[in-house]
Amino acid sequence: MVAGNTEPRLPAVVRHLFPAFAGLPLGPLLTLSLRSLAGRQPRLFERLGEHRTACYFIDPVDLAFAFTVVPDAERSIVRVVRKSEAATSSVQIRGPILTLLSLLDGTLDGDALFFSRIISISGRTEAVLALRNTIEDAELSPADLLGLRGFLARFADTGILGALSVARQMADRNSRRKAPVA
Amino acid sequence: MKSGRMELVCPAGTPATLRAAVQAGADAVYCGFRDETNARNFPGLNFSREELAEGVRFAHDHGSKVLVAINTFARVNDVDLWKKAADTAAECGANAIIAADIAVLDHVAKNHKQVRLHLSVQAAAATPEAIGFYATSFGIRRVVLPRVLSVQEIAALNRAIEVETEAFVFGGLCVMIEGRCYLSSYATGKSPNLNGVCSPPEMVSYDDEPNSTAARLSGFTIDRYEPGEPVGYPTLCKGKFKAGGKTSYLFEDPVSLNAGGMIAGLKAAGVTALKIEGRQRGKGYVTEVVHAFRKAVDAVGQGGDAIEIDRILAGQSEGSRQTAGAYSKKWR
Repeated sequence: MVAGNTEPRLPAVVRHLFPAFAGLPLGPLLTLSLRSLAGRQPRLFERLGEHRTACYFIDPVDLAFAFTVVPDAERSIVRVVRKSEAATSSVQIRGPILTLLSLLDGTLDGDALFFSRIISISGRTEAVLALRNTIEDAELSPADLLGLRGFLARFADTGILGALSVARQMADRNSRRKAPVA
Repeated sequence: MKSGRMELVCPAGTPATLRAAVQAGADAVYCGFRDETNARNFPGLNFSREELAEGVRFAHDHGSKVLVAINTFARVNDVDLWKKAADTAAECGANAIIAADIAVLDHVAKNHKQVRLHLSVQAAAATPEAIGFYATSFGIRRVVLPRVLSVQEIAALNRAIEVETEAFVFGGLCVMIEGRCYLSSYATGKSPNLNGVCSPPEMVSYDDEPNSTAARLSGFTIDRYEPGEPVGYPTLCKGKFKAGGKTSYLFEDPVSLNAGGMIAGLKAAGVTALKIEGRQRGKGYVTEVVHAFRKAVDAVGQGGDAIEIDRILAGQSEGSRQTAGAYSKKWR
């Protein structure tokens, strides 16, 4: 399914900061982060059931690269891949990066985004549902993903969520400027 | 309404959604176990025993109730799963069990007298005689009304029964005979009323085709969407089919119920509780819808109106289209 065209996307200047190769170090870092999270919150991954071994292709449409994620608790794997590798995965989820991050931190409702076609899915629908429900229940913050606690956690959450909020406002303004006038 | 202000009953598919609903102003939340005993048996959804116990503690600490839906129909020689779910709900401190199967109602009535029994919408009880039977036989305290009644009919019903009534006010709709859907069973082999899942997601696909996206269930094309057009979850009852040379929504339009503008009418008709559908929906949906209805119910309670609710909730409906459903029906 094709994602809609009116959703907030990263401004071109930001997109240019993330060419295809820029994502490569993210794979091992996110793998470590996910495995560490599984060690701290094992119950979180139980909700995925049999779908924890599914391969999810996450495609931020405004970045030059994509991710594959196998959320198998302490055996989780995250890889940065080319957009052309979607066919090897069980599930494909596409949308603007800021929207996908909003799903992760619970800022936006995944169903409303899907029904209005701002994000799109294809492949095993049951695996998407399991992932979506698991993320919904996890209430993850940036500090959870980074394994931080106390002051550092609060600092990271405030800084990262604040930066994301600013980025969304910039992207909104950018999208509105480009929208055709009726 | 038998007495007091109207109760707002809100969906909780996960512990996080339960907390969100309570914090958004729910008087009660309803939820189910992670198995076939409830009618929202979707992957990643629902509660374990430990999660329910924690959820009940959280809700009670914040002045809200927890109603546990054990509302599918038990299978021959396999009733124990349903009985055990009822036992667990009672042990976790649930305020009420929502059930439709007579075996489950009987088990709760005999073994868990401290737990209120609410008759599920799946029982499709819509007459004083039917409701009276459940009240006399099992001591049900509330009936969740099937979505086939007009406000006038609800008022007449309330005058004739002793138990409380709960009416759906927002969310997805089923075809107009509750608890007897065979469409999903025909296409997928799984029944919403027995297995707790309507249109099981493992049989759902969204397929890109030239100039459209096809939503399919078990290989049957349920609907096609133009690029950019809002999509819906493919259920057979809301599918677009060709019959008599004409393509149309043969059974039911893909619209969601929004009776937010009818809260005052439902209150006047004697309804005790207003129910929001959507245990399969996320925290964002639950928070926004519960907030909006909390304001509307409080406004109506103070003699105001709830017109704004339609605008606030327009984006939260599946397919982005809404209806007042049978509450304002002009047909028989």
